[in-house]
Amino acid sequence: MRATATAPTTAALRPLVGGPSVTRTAGVLGGGALLVLAALVVAVGLGTSELAGPWDAAAILAHRMGLPVPVTWSPGAEQIVWELRLPRAVTALVVGGGLATAGVVFQALLRNPLADPYVIGTAAGASLGAVAGLMIPTLVPALAVGVGTAWLGIGLAQVMAFVGGLGSVLLVYAVARSGGRVPVVTLLLVGYAISSVLAAATALLMFFSGNRLGAIFGWLMGSLGGASWSDLALATPLVVVAGAVLLLRWRRLNLLLLGDGPAANLGLDVEREKLLLTGLATLATSAAVAVAGTIGFVGLVVPHLLRLALGPDHRLLLPASALGGAALLALADTGARLAGGVPVGIVTALLGAPFFLVLLRRTRAIGR
Amino acid sequence: MTGALAPIVEGRDLAFAFRPQHPVLRGVDLAVWPGELVVLLGTNGSGKTTLLRLLSGALTPDRGAVLVGGRPVGAWRRGDLARRVAVLPQHLELPAGFRVAEVVEMGRTPHSRSLFGATDGDEAAVERALREADASTLAHRSVDELSGGERQRVLVAMALAQEPELLLLDEPTLHLDLAHQLGLLRTVRRLCQGGLAAVAVLHDLALARLADRVAVLDDGRIRAVGPPADVLTPELVEGVFGVPMSLARDASGADHLVLTQR
Amino acid sequence: MASRVPRVPRVFLAPLVAALLAACQPAATGTATPASTTSSASSSALAAVYPLTLTDDAGNEVTLAADPQRIVSLAPSNTEIVCAVGACDELVGVTDFDDYPPQIADVEDVVVGAQVDVEKVVAAEPDLVLAAGNGLTPDDVIAQMDDLGLTVMVLYPETIDEIYADIQLVGAAVDESAAATAEVERMRGEIAAIGGAVAGADAPRVFYEVSIFEGQIYTAGADSFLASMIALAGGDPITGDAVTTSIGQEELVAADPQVILLGDAAYDPSITPASVAARPGWAEVAAVADERVVVMAEDLVITRPGPRITEGLAALARAIHPEAFTD
Repeated sequence: MRATATAPTTAALRPLVGGPSVTRTAGVLGGGALLVLAALVVAVGLGTSELAGPWDAAAILAHRMGLPVPVTWSPGAEQIVWELRLPRAVTALVVGGGLATAGVVFQALLRNPLADPYVIGTAAGASLGAVAGLMIPTLVPALAVGVGTAWLGIGLAQVMAFVGGLGSVLLVYAVARSGGRVPVVTLLLVGYAISSVLAAATALLMFFSGNRLGAIFGWLMGSLGGASWSDLALATPLVVVAGAVLLLRWRRLNLLLLGDGPAANLGLDVEREKLLLTGLATLATSAAVAVAGTIGFVGLVVPHLLRLALGPDHRLLLPASALGGAALLALADTGARLAGGVPVGIVTALLGAPFFLVLLRRTRAIGR
Repeated sequence: MTGALAPIVEGRDLAFAFRPQHPVLRGVDLAVWPGELVVLLGTNGSGKTTLLRLLSGALTPDRGAVLVGGRPVGAWRRGDLARRVAVLPQHLELPAGFRVAEVVEMGRTPHSRSLFGATDGDEAAVERALREADASTLAHRSVDELSGGERQRVLVAMALAQEPELLLLDEPTLHLDLAHQLGLLRTVRRLCQGGLAAVAVLHDLALARLADRVAVLDDGRIRAVGPPADVLTPELVEGVFGVPMSLARDASGADHLVLTQR
Repeated sequence: MASRVPRVPRVFLAPLVAALLAACQPAATGTATPASTTSSASSSALAAVYPLTLTDDAGNEVTLAADPQRIVSLAPSNTEIVCAVGACDELVGVTDFDDYPPQIADVEDVVVGAQVDVEKVVAAEPDLVLAAGNGLTPDDVIAQMDDLGLTVMVLYPETIDEIYADIQLVGAAVDESAAATAEVERMRGEIAAIGGAVAGADAPRVFYEVSIFEGQIYTAGADSFLASMIALAGGDPITGDAVTTSIGQEELVAADPQVILLGDAAYDPSITPASVAARPGWAEVAAVADERVVVMAEDLVITRPGPRITEGLAALARAIHPEAFTD
């Protein structure tokens, strides 16, 4: 019975009896990568000013990459492309990819199709942190001077959003834990309860926010308006590292779909794994939220759509969702910019929800 | 073949209660040796499933100890334990959207050495498990389309793909038609001849006769254990299950338990 | 804000620049004294010398390399200040909320729906950006524009004296100090005249309704600019919370305003003296009983801290003390 003792142990990437074929994997992920690239080109090429058109943008990028392109654009155009559109587009990619990846993980972890990256407290905690960060200048006038560029070039609101998101999930997890176990339903309920308390605290702060209400509202809706290379430099490593580790844990995510008991019988340390996955997904979510606010729908819809299209195997679903979320948010943010700077969260919800509904109805019709 | 080798699993004086004052098991001793199929019998609520879960390490006994391969079950690393012990639980929700072969491949997890794919060994094991569970034709079907019996065969294949030394089966014949019930028990018996040890919870006394030994649980204790012909007497069955039984001899001269019609 | 000293533009020359100028321009004599220009300028006043370093309302030192030719204004009050000192032609970006003076209608809107479109700001290639303080131009947007190397000056006047100071500041920045001084003198004169007209009269209790929403009433906050305007116009302002600017309905009725000024009626025609009288509990208020509920169509110039604040103050004074203005 111990056939594997002599079986080849090389980690050959080959079609499996069960898994997706190499050609399918390559097709899906290659297509996804192309989509991301296309979204990046569109996001950098389009904007509200005529100073930097798509061709200028392409030429500027080529120039920056060291290609011998004659300079036909103004310094302003180069600034717009390199310091405004590009960091914003890349931020959209990182945030969208991070949220979609975290969404996949939470949906598997909580075995709940309604789960999104925010469901167990991330959004409520990050919102409270950000709103508090935005309001500290009002509440404590002594700190008013120079706030906004307070710390390492990162705004107070960003730092507090990150800490708030991470902290609230830790709190939820600690409260939900009993006897060394964290039952999924308890986690969801505790997450809901603590989120409600934090949301109430946020609303209370907003009531006293005076003329900061606009900034708070923009943050809560989710916006990439303030994106800069320095924000990106902090968020990207967190999202990329957390995402990469999550990607490598596809097999464990698949097992968790069987339920805690069967997963344990297959050798998984279920409680440890749930904690690890929650921690990684929350890390990615909090980093994304810190730079972009609570952008909704990407983390819920992208995993769903791709699960319907590609099946539930996380080996393919995780990287495909990361790519899909990245491309979707970059495109949605381009739309948001062209529409006069509305928060991108409004765009994702306005376009995402109806599309999602149509798809749900169609698949249900086929399924029956 | 039981004498020479050490038992693969051994429960010693196992006591367990979900709630204090309501013990499920009150001191059970059971050892299973490589190469044998042991069938657990007993009324509903007699503690069969609890005993299986204690043996698999899913539950920790209030008293007593479970040894797997001579080591306390809790001392094993989970992955190492999963390479030795496979469990077919009574209830398992197959995750929607997967194909059968993908689910069976999950059984290979404890042996997995590949980051993104599967090794030749994994593939061979999955194919073998599907064949042994009579589920090869289902390999490319979606788990959402399976009948109850087909699902059960897939679960068996998943457990077999794990290539364990000990197989714990909780009502494996559930939902299976007569032919597949018999087929499954014969497969397990054949694997036992290759060195596997298996413990199966069953309710069918006729199927239980295919076991090397049967153990009858009654009120948290083992009432009797031994070869089926010795244990399954009309007196014991009547005593445990509370139904009148008698022996009937068939044309070939073998004795069978039958329900006494009054 | 009493501790704030009216700002005097600090003219500052870096020693190196001074040395260079001294070598080329005989007239440049000191390090801290504005040098008189040798060319024949249209103005007879001393011209500013660039680079010029000024301190803005956020307390930041802002250095202008040369006389700004392309100015972006991120608030209507800033726009009005720029135009009041005669630099209207230099505006290359304003907000979609700007409505005065009329000639800025053709200038590109770089603020749309209260969102600063930084890309449009950059595309306007401004050499001076006038932002608003206290979060009206979001802090992160100001930081972003700073990072992009734009010259950003924050204007945040909270009193009439500070409006004067900001007019002088902008005048100094765009080398129109004489025009700025003239504008401030005009304002001082008009405000003094209004003060004279209402002087000696009893100050009635005045409630200024900024907005009412879901029963939540917003008015002049304690120690706010609006409260000081009402006081200057000869009224005794009934104020709300200093931060939220809201006031409880019971608190308001108990304060028994003698004059109610409907700022929100300027934008919402459904708010009228009749609709106020019909509000439950308001009929007994002195202002309602005495029919001294007034629609303030001039709300915009009352609340916009720019040069036309004199018009706003005059409107307030006429509403509070109609007897003092018989013309």
